[in-house]
Amino acid sequence: MVMSILIYGGLNSIILALTALGFSLTIGISGVANLAHGGFYVFAGLLTWMLFDGLGLPYFIAILLSVGVTGLLGALMYWTVLLRVRGMVLSEVIATLAIGIGILEFFRWKGFVLYYGLPYFVEGSLEIAGVTIDYHRLSIIGIGFVLLVLLWLFTHYTKIGLAFRAIAQEEYTSLCFGIKSDWIAMLGVAFGSALAAIAAITILPLGTISIGVGYEVLLVAMAVAVVGGLGSTLGTLVASLILGYAQVITATFLAPHWMMVVYLVAIIVVLAIKPSGLFGELKELEERV
Amino acid sequence: MSAKQRDKKKWLFYVSVIWLIINIFPGVCFSQPAAPPIVFGMPAPLGETASIAGWKAAQMAVEELNAKGGVSVGGVKRPIEIYSIDTREHEPGIPIHDALMAIEKLILEKKPHAIAAGPMRSEVLLAALDAIVYKYKLPYMVTISMTPVLQTKITENYDKYKYVFRINPNSIYVVKLLSEVMAFLGKEFGFKKAYLICQDVLWAKATINGVEKEMKATGWEIVGKDIYPTGASEFSASLTKVKETKAQVIVPVFDMPPAAVLLKQARRMKVPAIIAGGIEPAAHSDAWKVFGGEVEGMVNTIFTAGHIPVKALPKSVEFYEKYGKKWGKTEQEKFFGQTGAATAYDSVYVLADAIERAGTLDGEALVKALEKTDMMGSIGRIKFGKDHQVIYGFDPKESAIGVAFQWVKGERVVVFPAQVSEGKIILPPYMK
Repeated sequence: MVMSILIYGGLNSIILALTALGFSLTIGISGVANLAHGGFYVFAGLLTWMLFDGLGLPYFIAILLSVGVTGLLGALMYWTVLLRVRGMVLSEVIATLAIGIGILEFFRWKGFVLYYGLPYFVEGSLEIAGVTIDYHRLSIIGIGFVLLVLLWLFTHYTKIGLAFRAIAQEEYTSLCFGIKSDWIAMLGVAFGSALAAIAAITILPLGTISIGVGYEVLLVAMAVAVVGGLGSTLGTLVASLILGYAQVITATFLAPHWMMVVYLVAIIVVLAIKPSGLFGELKELEERV
Repeated sequence: MSAKQRDKKKWLFYVSVIWLIINIFPGVCFSQPAAPPIVFGMPAPLGETASIAGWKAAQMAVEELNAKGGVSVGGVKRPIEIYSIDTREHEPGIPIHDALMAIEKLILEKKPHAIAAGPMRSEVLLAALDAIVYKYKLPYMVTISMTPVLQTKITENYDKYKYVFRINPNSIYVVKLLSEVMAFLGKEFGFKKAYLICQDVLWAKATINGVEKEMKATGWEIVGKDIYPTGASEFSASLTKVKETKAQVIVPVFDMPPAAVLLKQARRMKVPAIIAGGIEPAAHSDAWKVFGGEVEGMVNTIFTAGHIPVKALPKSVEFYEKYGKKWGKTEQEKFFGQTGAATAYDSVYVLADAIERAGTLDGEALVKALEKTDMMGSIGRIKFGKDHQVIYGFDPKESAIGVAFQWVKGERVVVFPAQVSEGKIILPPYMK
């Protein structure tokens, strides 16, 4: 039982982190709460399915194309819509929410109301201390860690990555250093969207793709981002660990019925004690003032 | 040529032209006013699989009847027209009131003589009873919603709710079907321990509670019962307990897509228990492909025959094949779940039969005629009980039936009820 909680709690945490990473990155860099995150997630899943199952492309090629196209879609959304409303928080929220719902409902309208499955990356399973876990879930853990490491390296050792951090810290000052904040913000949204696609392609083979998943993913991403602190990658990771383990422990010792309540309770508690989230910096200064 | 001969020729020419016109366009020359159509309505959530399939099946039935000249009303053959409206009741955030408005819009605009199919959500059905059905006094055929409260209402206040008839089974029959499957598993393999898992929605909880009660009464030990919220996608807690308690059967009741995770995770965690219950996404004939073969060995339920061809019920095979031919096999694979299509198809025939017997389109007379329905449909023998629920049982010659099937090597094999079974339940490889 304990090993099962440790292993599946950890796995659940990585899944939550992957789900929320793109959302958190976007808000951290561009300051935009991308509520189209769930729409991009389902878009990437269905696009991969269409390319792989419909057109018969190799799975790996279908994945690469989906991630690329979803990233481009994010950039397009920024350039055509968000650029015009940037800085007006309410307008950004309304615009991204409308785009997200538009994507999901477009698929519903086109008849994608069923269940579509993606294959596992790796077949088979193994036993760790009496707990059976499959290779695909293990690969999710691996992908999660690799992504986090790559993201850290990218934001610390590349020019674009440093520019990401610069506008995240102080946009007006970064302008003085010749950083085109609109371009970087657009890249940030594109990166966030591509991360949503990676999450979708990694997680969706565990179940099936359906329109409703888009709405659920958005709720999860928002819960993790709020608890961890908006825009903080470290916060996203810590919040994922807390929520992931809390969910599995709740399901094991209380009842699975309360699993979804964990998110809501965590949000309420964090907002009551530390409104900026566990590692949030965006509001912290305001709070101090 | 004399003038008289020319006149005669002219006269013959004119007669010939008139004769030709009469023969070529008889309908134009001697047309009588066409018999007005009989109008049916189908308010349902048209973005949801059971309703999509239901709407297509209802159209197919209407086309078949019209091809035979229509339906006789008091000796006059009249064509049928059927109209649908999207109530969107399956979508999150759509209030019941919106669905009711859609139903009323259809009634006011198309003026149907009867509602042939719908609704999906029990909440919409119960609200429509007072807000719409009683107001317009139209025969209303229910083909998806499963709440048994409808029967209670009809029994308690017959005059008010007598217009409503249900073709699909209510959840009590689903409990009965599942309980019989469990009894069969117990008898055949000596299983005694079961773990129940269901979705946190009214119908699923009511069904699992009913199954639990029946199973306990027949000596089963229920070693655990978990209820998962609709968006849940992690089932390791329950599956670990299944392993620890050595449950031999997992009984799931779900209609949500993430239930796929439960099936896949159970296989991946190598849980040595047979899954036998009701998971809607795994009932479709393409589920083997969608789930990558991980439904192997699962015993699933289909609430109405016709959604799977049952050889002992030729009408179910006929309907299944006709639908596939008309709308395409791929479409059929995707939209034929546990119920909705066969019931809508049969509903149109039940209404047509009642209209012919009543000889009128008057609502009161139709209710009386519907109550005396006794005909064979794709779901089995269709007869209504006093509570206006089609009687469900296990012998298609006596009643309508639901079936249990098992996924074996990519095929759905009907395994229950015994009267129609086409194979025996076999233990999946992971239980041997």
